[in-house]
Parts: sequence; structure tokens; C-alpha cells
Amino acid sequence: MSHLAESSTPSRKRSRWEQTLDDADEQLLQARESLPPKRRSKSKTQASRLADSSHTPPLPTGPLAKPLVPSARPRHSIYAPPRILYPSFRPARSVYNYERLNQIEEGSYGVVFRARDKQTGDIVALKKLKLDEEKHGFPITALREVNALMACRHENVVNIREVVVGDTLTQVFVVMDFIEHDLKTLITLMPAPFLQSEIKTLMLQLLSAVSHCHYHWILHRDLKTSNLLMNNRGTIKVADFGLARRYGDPVGVGGLTQLVVTLWYRAPEILLGATTYSTAIDIWSVGCIFAELLLKEPLFQAKSELELISMIFKLLGPPTSSSWPDYTTLPLAKSITLPPQQPHGAALRQRFPYLTNAGLDLLSKMLTYDPEQRITAEEAMQHPYFKESPLPKHPDLFGSFPSAAAGEKRRKPFDSPSAPQRLADYKLITEFDLP
Amino acid sequence: MSRALYPLASLEQVEKSPSREDGIPADLEEDLRAYGCKLIHQAGILLKQKQVAVATAQILFQRFWFVTSMKQFGIGDVGMGALYLASKLEECPLRMRDLINVYDLLLQRAAHAPPSGDFRYAPMSYFGNAFYDLKDALVVAEMQVLKRLGFDVHVVLPYGTLVNYMRLLDLTGREDAVSRAWGYLNDALQTPVYALYPVPTIVSAAILLATRHLHIALPSTPPNCWWELFDAEWDDVWSVCGYVMRLYRTRSAEDEERVKGMLTKKDVRRWLEEHGDR
Ligand SMILES: Nc1ncnc2c1ncn2[C@@H]1O[C@H](COP(=O)(O)OP(=O)(O)OP(=O)(O)O)[C@@H](O)[C@H]1O
Ligand SMILES: [Mg+2]
Repeated sequence: MSHLAESSTPSRKRSRWEQTLDDADEQLLQARESLPPKRRSKSKTQASRLADSSHTPPLPTGPLAKPLVPSARPRHSIYAPPRILYPSFRPARSVYNYERLNQIEEGSYGVVFRARDKQTGDIVALKKLKLDEEKHGFPITALREVNALMACRHENVVNIREVVVGDTLTQVFVVMDFIEHDLKTLITLMPAPFLQSEIKTLMLQLLSAVSHCHYHWILHRDLKTSNLLMNNRGTIKVADFGLARRYGDPVGVGGLTQLVVTLWYRAPEILLGATTYSTAIDIWSVGCIFAELLLKEPLFQAKSELELISMIFKLLGPPTSSSWPDYTTLPLAKSITLPPQQPHGAALRQRFPYLTNAGLDLLSKMLTYDPEQRITAEEAMQHPYFKESPLPKHPDLFGSFPSAAAGEKRRKPFDSPSAPQRLADYKLITEFDLP
Repeated sequence: MSRALYPLASLEQVEKSPSREDGIPADLEEDLRAYGCKLIHQAGILLKQKQVAVATAQILFQRFWFVTSMKQFGIGDVGMGALYLASKLEECPLRMRDLINVYDLLLQRAAHAPPSGDFRYAPMSYFGNAFYDLKDALVVAEMQVLKRLGFDVHVVLPYGTLVNYMRLLDLTGREDAVSRAWGYLNDALQTPVYALYPVPTIVSAAILLATRHLHIALPSTPPNCWWELFDAEWDDVWSVCGYVMRLYRTRSAEDEERVKGMLTKKDVRRWLEEHGDR
């Protein structure tokens, strides 16, 4: 590109944001706010809003599109927050800022500890990422996990505080808020199942988290009750983004791997070998979780993929050309013999005899075969089930439960299969996904 | 809550660059940053890597030097590590071996190519020390980029925003303006601006440069300044233009050679010993 005749190099004079930073205090910001808005017309605000919609997915309405800046700042649109709000570059701190308490659990992917922040005294969870013997540098799965957690900050997603490092290059820990329970353990240890009003609250929270992730182009890909944490205030936090990844990028995303989602929660399109899939796979898992909350045990406790497929067909009836038009195009569809048709919805109704019609309708919309027709998280939150009596219970009214993670070793409830061999998954992604 | 904002340099980080604290003059640091980004760009072309991964790598590379001195890490290694990392972030991972080969070629060419005349690349053996040294350097550099940036590697690229702004300014019909502005955005990747200013400011600067060059008039007198539509401050926009324009100034042969001899931290340390006064 050539030199522009008419622009001389401007002096490197300090610009306005730097001055603002100079005396970076709220007073100044407030003073600026109280000034009459400088030459700002209504149309300008609208234009600015429109202007930068490329920053974020094109859904500027709805409950999720809260402005970044809590109080309305007259000078800036929500897409161009004031310079002072941007975080600076902050090197990872040392893990020695935390005092290790007890080990919570060893997952298939990392070890989780309870720890105390030496400065603040806060109790946190440290998840050590498995990095040793990596032939490909920093594992792409660990990168996705950290990025997804940072990208999906939400009331119902476990809060990532920072990433800290140990003495060697292989010691990296994700620091999260410590959450007392996981839903799977709770369900098994509870003497009675959750009440309908409680289930509604939990489902709304879960759906809100999932819709938030999807809005930010993140698929979780491993939703199940053991990855849902719950605090003593009745709030669910989605955790374990170890299989998460970005989707739907106009550029950049190669083929998706099939080895995702723990078997029992795996959507039929994955089981049948689809190579392109989307947010609908998370919704299927949410449907399985909904059913598990109602039944107090997992919906499909299959030992193999084939058994799972046959369980699904038994419960929902075999797919038809209208319930799943693309079924026959799926790689594994030919190898499967469909059972005879049965009265629509009878088996499902039988399995959930006490669920209201609205509840059953929502469940079957989540467990819809055709991913295109399956309900979205956002739609599900508007479902009449949540508006009929009994209404969702306020989280504060949930009883509190003794935390297994804080002290006593957790009992292993039903032996749910762990996430599909992460190592194998990792190999798939790194070795076979190459351009 | 919405997605967290991407990080930008704080005032203190702008004023106290670690390299300058180590005695590396500002103009040399600027040249080394730009050259490191050029290497990333060239490697990207040779590897047929996606532009989004290359741009992301350049931005991570620029951020890195706000928290690390060039006396500690070489621009070659860090560029290689940043490209490796960015390729994973953009879901188009590179084979380590391919990346190492390409960087080896680029570094040899920079170090040995005579100003004129042809350069013969001596490919390295996969089992030789050179390969393993570079491989170690790559793994370390990738980790250092992550560590020193606190694992916050969220990058927002400017291209979508440019398309939007051009539409709002009713300039989509002017393909020359769009492609020129696009070019400035790419050139700006060789400067620190993506680590200094929010995307709307940088895109406004690219549009300003493009429309001025093509003599396209846009409302620019208060109270109707087009950049205000995008919440950009004139001073910031102008400063970004300055960074970009400095790339095009003519440079002496010595300046260009000086940079090529300083791709590793060893070279930088030697230069500091020879020229340093501290
Ligand atoms: N923030 C947290 N607070 C409390 N406990 C946690 C937290 N994060 C994780 N845990 C506990 O550690 C367990 C394993 O964590 P996580 O699921 O993230 O790791 P993983 O290795 O991916 O596990 P797996 O493969 O078994 O699903 C969780 O099931 C939960 O019991
Ligand atoms: Mg888990």
C-alpha cells in the first residue's frame, strides 16, 4: 500500500483514553456521565447499535443482550464500551497463591482440588489440567475448556476466576468458584425426588446457561448431571467444558468429531454417525437431564451404543420420514432395523405417569429426533410448562444439603460411563482433523 | 452477563514496555515487532494457513511484548509459538513439523540471504539437533504466550465490523474503498494497535485512510462526524493512522539489516552488549 500524500504522521500525543486512565476513578466517569450528552441524537445510538453487531452474534434482543456497562453511559453504545473497561494483559499468577485443602475428585481429564485463596480466604476449586506427555504442545481440548469458560460467563455457568501455573510447564490449574454439590450425587443421596416446582427452577437455570453458551457460539457437548454443580442457594452451575468447542464459525471450523457426549446423554444423530451437528445435541442432553430429575435415575442406562439406540426407539417410537426426514441419509441408518411403529407417545406417557401434559410436551420437544425440529434452549424457556402451577420455586427456598465435595469422600452413585475416551477424542482432533 | 471484553494494554503497559526497560530503543522494538509479524504472515502463506489464524497470531504476538522483553524471548520463537497457538484457537491446528520447517526456512533466509543473489535453503534433518531445538523452542514459546497473557487469548478480528461500517456509511458500492480499508486493517496487524485500541477505533482509522486516499467525502465537521457514529475518538483514530502510516516510510538499508540480525534473544543480547549503555 502506498504512502498517503495528505496524511502526515500525527504526533504520538496521548489520546483521551489514556488521560481517562490517568485518573482512572469512578468520580471522573461519573462526572462525564452527568454532563449533558455531547451531540448525541437518538438515531446515532441506534446506528451504533446496529453498527457493530459483528462483534457478537446477531441477536441483539432478548434477555441475554444486557449491556456490558451496568449503568447507561450516554456516550457509548453497548458495542463500544469505554476504553477504561477493557482489562489489561495479566500474566498467570502462581498456584502458590492458593492453599490446597482436599482433593475432590479425579475426573478422566484432570484432578480437582478444594483450595483456599491465601489473600482473600475464599474457598475455590482448582482443576489441574493434564498436560504431561503432550506431543502437540498445549492440548487443544484444554484450550477450548479455558476459552469456553471465559467466553460463557453467566450466573448458571461455573465462574472461572483465573488460570494459575505451578513450577513446571506442565502444571496449569483452572481456578473456579467452589460449588458444594453436583447434581448427580444430590439426586442419588436425596431421600425424595425434587419437587416439580424445584425441577422447573433447575431446568430454567440450565436452559438459561445453555442458551447463553449457544448465543456465544459454544457447544458444551458433555451435559449430564455429574457436570452440573449446585450450590446451597439452589443455583445450578454448568461445569466441565472439557469437550466444549466453538461451532458455526463462518470460517475456521473443520469437521466435528463424533466422539462426544457421554453415552447416556448422546443425541441420536451422533449415534447414527452424523458429522455435522449443532446446538441440538446439547438440547437432547438437557432432555435426558430433565427426565433424570423426574425419575431420580438416568433415563437411558445403556451399556452400548446399539442398546442405547434400541432404548430410544422403544421409548419414542422409531423415527419416520416426517419425524426425521434426514434419517435415511445418516451413515449408520442402513445398518439398523427399525422396530414396528407403536401408538404415538404411549411409551413416554407410561414412563412419566405423573407429569402434566405440558411437561410431557416439553420433554418430547427436547427428545425430538430431527435436530432441525428439536426445540431450542431459548424456546424451551418460554414453554407453558414453566407457567403452569406449581410455579418454579425460588432458589432460596431449596433446602440445603451436606456437601460431599467439602468433606467426606463422595460416594460413586450409579457408575455412569465417563466422557468418551478423551484421549481418543483428543487424538482424533489433533491428528485427523488436520487440513 | 455478556462475554468478557478482550484485553488491551493499560497505560502503564504502554509507557513501560519491558523491552525498552531492558534498553532496547523504541524504534528498534517497533521494527522487531513489525518484522516478527511479517514472519508470521509469510509462514502463514507457506503453510496455506487460514487468514483468521494468522491475524490472531499476530495480535497475540503484539500483546506478548507488552508483558515480555525481547531480551528474554526471540521474535522468531514467539511468532512461531503464537501461530501454533492461534491455529488451535481457530480450529485449524498445524502440524508441528510443518511449522518448524517453515520457520527454519524463514529464519535461515533472513539470516543468510545476501541482499541480492539467490539463497539456497539447506533443509534440516528430522533427527538433527536443529529440529529438536526448534521444537523445544516452539513448545516453550506457545506456553509462554499463554502464561504471560494469563490464558486470556480472546481476540476479536476487525473484518466483520468493517463490512458493517461500510454498509452504514453507504460505501458498500465502492469496492475500491472496501478493499483498501481491508488492506489497511491487514497492514495494521504489523503494528501494536490491536493491543492498544478497541476494534471500532481501528476500523474507523482504516476507513479514514481509505476514504482520504480515494477522495471520498464523509461528514467530518462537528456535530456531524462519521467516526462518532462508531464511538471512536478522533485522537485515537488519528493515532492508529499514525501507526499504520509509519509502516510505509522509507527505511535505510542498515535499518532493514539490523532487524534481520536480531531474530533471536541471543542476537538481541549481543546487540545490547555492543550498543547498550546500561
Ligand atoms: N467448581 C467446582 N466446585 C466443586 N466441585 C467441582 C468443581 N469443578 C469440578 N468439581 C468436581 O470435580 C468433578 C470433576 O470435574 P470436571 O467434570 O470438570 O472434570 P473432568 O475431569 O472433566 O471430569 P469427568 O471426565 O469425570 O466428567 C466434578 O464432577 C465435580 O464433582
Ligand atoms: Mg465432568
